[in-house]
Amino acid sequence: MTKLKSILSFSLLILATSTFAQKFTINGTVRDKATGEELIGAVILVKELPNTGVSANEYGFYSISLPQGKYNLRLSFAGYNTLTKTIELDKNLKLDWQLENGTELQEVVVKATKENDNLTTTTMGTSKLDVKEIAKIPVIFGEKDILKTLQLLPGIKSAGEGNSGFYVRGGGADQNLILLDEAPVYNASHLLGFFSTFNSDAIKDATIIKGNAPAQYGGRLSSVLDVRMREGNDKDYNVSGGIGLISSRLSIEGPIQKEKSSFMITGRRTYADLFLKASPEFKDNSLYFYDLNAKANYRINENNRLFVSGYFGRDKLGFGNTFGVDWGNKTGTVRWNSIINAKLFSNTSLIYSDYSYEFNISANDNDFVNQSKIRDWNLKQEFQFFPNTRSSWRFGVNSIYHTIFPGSFINKKNTDTNPPKEGRTAWENAIYANNVFTISPKLSIDYGLRLSTWSIVGKGTYNIYDRGIKTDSIKLNNGEFGKTYFNLEPRAAINLTLSENSNLKTGYARNTQNLHLLSNSTSSNPTDQWIGTSYNIKPEIADQVSLGYFRNFADNKYEFSVETYYKSMQNQVDYKNAADINTAPDVESELLYGKGRAYGVELFLKKKTGKFTGWLSYTLSRTERQIDGINDGNWYAAKQDRTHDISLVGMYQLSNRWSLAGNFIYYTGNAVTFPSGKYNVAGNTTYLYTERNGYRMPAYHRLDISATYEKPRKGRFQSSWNFSIYNLYGRENAYTITFEDNPDDPSRTRAVQTSLFKWVPSVTYNFKF
Amino acid sequence: MNKITIVFLAVLGLTSCQKEIDIDLNSTNAQVVIEGEITDQNEPYTVKITKTVNFTESNNYPAIKGANVTISDNVGNSEKLIETSAGVYQTSKLRGISGRIYTMTVSAEGKTYTAQSTMPALVKLEDIRVVKSTFRPPTEKEDLYNVFPQFTDPIATGNNYRFIQSTDKSGKDNTIIVANDNVENGQPNSRPIFSRDFKIKVGDILTLEMRTIDRPTYNYLFTLVQIAGNGPGGGTTPSNPDSNIIGGALGYFSAYTVQKKTIVVQ
Repeated sequence: MTKLKSILSFSLLILATSTFAQKFTINGTVRDKATGEELIGAVILVKELPNTGVSANEYGFYSISLPQGKYNLRLSFAGYNTLTKTIELDKNLKLDWQLENGTELQEVVVKATKENDNLTTTTMGTSKLDVKEIAKIPVIFGEKDILKTLQLLPGIKSAGEGNSGFYVRGGGADQNLILLDEAPVYNASHLLGFFSTFNSDAIKDATIIKGNAPAQYGGRLSSVLDVRMREGNDKDYNVSGGIGLISSRLSIEGPIQKEKSSFMITGRRTYADLFLKASPEFKDNSLYFYDLNAKANYRINENNRLFVSGYFGRDKLGFGNTFGVDWGNKTGTVRWNSIINAKLFSNTSLIYSDYSYEFNISANDNDFVNQSKIRDWNLKQEFQFFPNTRSSWRFGVNSIYHTIFPGSFINKKNTDTNPPKEGRTAWENAIYANNVFTISPKLSIDYGLRLSTWSIVGKGTYNIYDRGIKTDSIKLNNGEFGKTYFNLEPRAAINLTLSENSNLKTGYARNTQNLHLLSNSTSSNPTDQWIGTSYNIKPEIADQVSLGYFRNFADNKYEFSVETYYKSMQNQVDYKNAADINTAPDVESELLYGKGRAYGVELFLKKKTGKFTGWLSYTLSRTERQIDGINDGNWYAAKQDRTHDISLVGMYQLSNRWSLAGNFIYYTGNAVTFPSGKYNVAGNTTYLYTERNGYRMPAYHRLDISATYEKPRKGRFQSSWNFSIYNLYGRENAYTITFEDNPDDPSRTRAVQTSLFKWVPSVTYNFKF
Repeated sequence: MNKITIVFLAVLGLTSCQKEIDIDLNSTNAQVVIEGEITDQNEPYTVKITKTVNFTESNNYPAIKGANVTISDNVGNSEKLIETSAGVYQTSKLRGISGRIYTMTVSAEGKTYTAQSTMPALVKLEDIRVVKSTFRPPTEKEDLYNVFPQFTDPIATGNNYRFIQSTDKSGKDNTIIVANDNVENGQPNSRPIFSRDFKIKVGDILTLEMRTIDRPTYNYLFTLVQIAGNGPGGGTTPSNPDSNIIGGALGYFSAYTVQKKTIVVQ
C-alpha cells in the first residue's frame, strides 16, 4: 500500500514536472513595418486561451509562456492593421512582428490601443496619448502640444491661460515627474508656459499616471508623465517639418546602417523676434526659444541594442541690455537593452539632466545675476521577468547624484567678495520590485514596493531653523554623509472584472518627493528654484487611495469611467509671508511647512471610433493646504483648487481630405487672495487681507476650433494645412485682477482685470517626404 | 513676471486687454493703523493713527482722536505727543540719536499698543550719480536715467536702506524702494534704484533721500514692495506685512536716519 502510494505520488510528480516542462516561451519584438520603430504597448492575444495575453514593453519586447500546442496569436495596436500568426509550439520560439500602418486610418482617427484595453490593464488613473490624435486638437498658436492636450483629461488641470504647466489631483506643478527618455525634465515650459518643451515631431509615446504609478517610478507625489522619443526610421530617410506663424520645426531621420541602426534629429525655433528687428520700437528686445531632440540607436545583435538620446532647449528673453532672462533644460540618456533569455529582459540607463536659469540686470558697468541650477547623474538598472502568462515582474535599482546650486543674487563684476552660494549635493537611491499577477480570469493585482533613500552629502553648511530663527548649524566636509532619510513606498492596484464590459479597480499608493520647487508667486516662473530635502525640509509624502468603475458600451465604441480619489500630503513646503527669495543668505530660513489634502471624482466618456470621435471629461474636486504660519494655521483652498473642471473635445472627419476639431473648456476660477479693506501707510494705499485664498477668480471658459486639410499625396511628398482659432467667441478670461488707486479719481480705488487672448487665429503648414 | 508676459504678448503682436471690474469684496471691521516715525533730524516726529475702510469706500481714512501717545528712549528720555490735527500726534522736544532704542506707546479706544525700533548708525551718502538707462520702453521718446546712490556699506552685516527720489517735474516717487546688504556686503554700492513708473530725464532737478532703517522696518516695507501692484496671476500671494507693533494694530514704528542730496541731471 505504501509502495503503491509512493509510486502514485512519484508518477504524479513526473506528470507535474512534465506538464511544467512542456511549457515553451515565445519572445520577440514588435515593430512598425515601414520605419522599423518598436511599438510600445502592442497587445498579443492567444485565441485559444481566453484572457491570456501580453503587451509589448516600452522597447517593443514581449515574452509569453504557453503549454505545448498549436495557437493562433493575434497582435493589435492603435492605428495598425491587426496581424494573426499560427504557430506550432513545441520548442522555445523567437517571433518578431512587423505591423503595417492601418489603411483605414484616413477615416478613423482615433482607435483604442485594443478595443477594451481600458478594462484589461490593472493600472489605475492612467492615460495614454495618441500623438496622431493630438495633431488634430486645436491649440494656441497652432503648435500641437502633448502637455496642453493632457490638460483636457479628467483630473489634470492647466496651470493657467495658455500654460503648459499642469496640476494633477491637487498636486503642485512640481509634483509631476516629467520624463523624456527616462531623464527628468525640471521645467517643461518654453516662453513662460505658452509652449512645452516637447516637440511633438520627436515624440513617439506619452503616458500619464495619476498617482498610482507602479514601483519603477518614484520621486514625485502626484503623477508620472513618461514621454518616449522616436527612434528614427531604420529603412528609409524622411524629412518632415512644419511652418507656423510663430515657430517652425524640422526633423530628419533615417538609417545609419539599414535595419541595424538609425538616427532622428529634430529642431524647433520661434521667430517672432526676427520680425521685431524690423520694428524700431522693439528692435533691442529679444524673445525666442529653440530646442533640439536627437536620438540614435544601434542593434548590436539580435538580443542587444544601444540607444543614445538627448534634448537641449533654451529660452532667451531680453529687453535692451538692461534685463534678460535665460533658461533651459539639457538631458542625455544612454540605454542598453538586453534580452538575457526568452523570459528575462534587462535595461541599463545612464542619464544626465540639468536645468538652469539666469536673470540678468545690467546697470552701468555692473552685471547683476540671479541664478540657480540643478544637475543630476542618474544610473538605472531594471530587469523584467516573465515567468508565465499569469505573472510579470519588474525589479531594479536607481541611483541619482544631485547637485543643486541654490538661487544666488550676485554681481558678476564682484564675485570675489560676493561669491554665488555653494552647490549642495545629495545622493538619492531606490530599490524596487513590482509584480502584475492574474489571480483568476476575473481578478488581477498589480503590486510593488519601493524603498527610497535621500542622503545629504557634503560639503556644505546646513543651518537648522525654528520658524525662521537659526538654532543650530551642521558643517559637512567634502564627501561626508549627513542625514539620510528612508521611505518605504508600497503600491497596489486590484482589477476585478464584473462582466465582459465592465470592471472595478481600486488602488493605494504611497509616493515620496525629495526635490521641491520653491515658488512665491501666484503663477509658475522660470526663476522658481529647486531645492533638495535637508535638515529642515523633510521628504514630502503622499498617500492616495482610489476607486474606479470602467465600462464600455456599444461594442467598445464608447468608453466610460468614473474614478474617485482621496490623497493626503505631508511635509509640504511654502514660503513664509514676505519671504526674500532672491537675496536671503539661506533660503531655508524663509520656509514654512504643512500638509495638504485633495479629493475628487473624475468622469470620462469617450467615443473611440467612427467619423465623429472625442470625449467629455468632468472633474469635481477639492484641494486644501494647512501650513503653520499661513492663514492662522487654518485649512485653506490651494490656489489650484477648482471645484468644477470640464473639457469637451470633438473631432469630425468631414471627407478624406478635411477634418474638423473643437474643444470647449470650463473651470471654476482659482482660489485667490483679495483685499477686504484698505488703509494708507508709507504714502501708499495698502490693502487689508483677512484670509488666504478666500476669494475666487471668475470662471474660465473658451471654445477653440480647427480644421485640417490633407493635400493629395504626390509621390513621397505629403503635406497638410492646419487652421485654428483659439478662444473663438472672444471670452475675456481674467489672467490677473489687480487693485489700484483710480487714476481718474485718486480718492477711490478700483479693481482691474487683465485678459490675455481674446481670440488667436493660427495657420500651420506641415510636410513630410 | 506678469509685466514680462504682457510685453511678450505685445511682441507677438497680440494685445492683452484691461478693464475695470466689479468684485464683491467682503467688508470687515475697521482696524487700527499706526504709523510712527522718529528720525535723527531736528524736527517734530509724528505718529499717525487712522482706521481701515472697506474697499469700495473713498480713500478717506477716519482719524483716531484723543489717543495717548508717548515715545521714550533707552536712556531715560520720554515725551507725550500732542495731537496737532485729527489723528496726527507730534513731539516737540525729543531728539532722535543713532544707536538708541525707541519705544512708542499708544493708548486708543481702550487698547494699548507698543512698538520698539532702534535707530541705525548713519551710513554716509557721498554723492549721487545718474546714468543713462540702456532700456527705453517702446512708447518713450526721450532717454531715461537711473540713479546710483554713492555710499559704502559697512563691513558688519545687517544694514538696511530706504531711498526716496523726487524731481522738480514729477514730484515725489511714491514707489517704496528698499535695499539691504545681503548682496555686496561691505562694498561700495553698485546698484541703481529701479522704479518702474518714475521717469528721470535730462534737465530734471533730482533729490535723493537716503534713510538707514532697522530690520523690522525693512521687512515691513519689503512686503509692501512685493505685494504692490501685483494681483493674482503674476505676483506674490498677498498678505499683511508683519508689524512690529504689539497689541494688534496694522502699520509700523520706525526710527531712522535721513540724508538728502540734490543734483541737476545732465
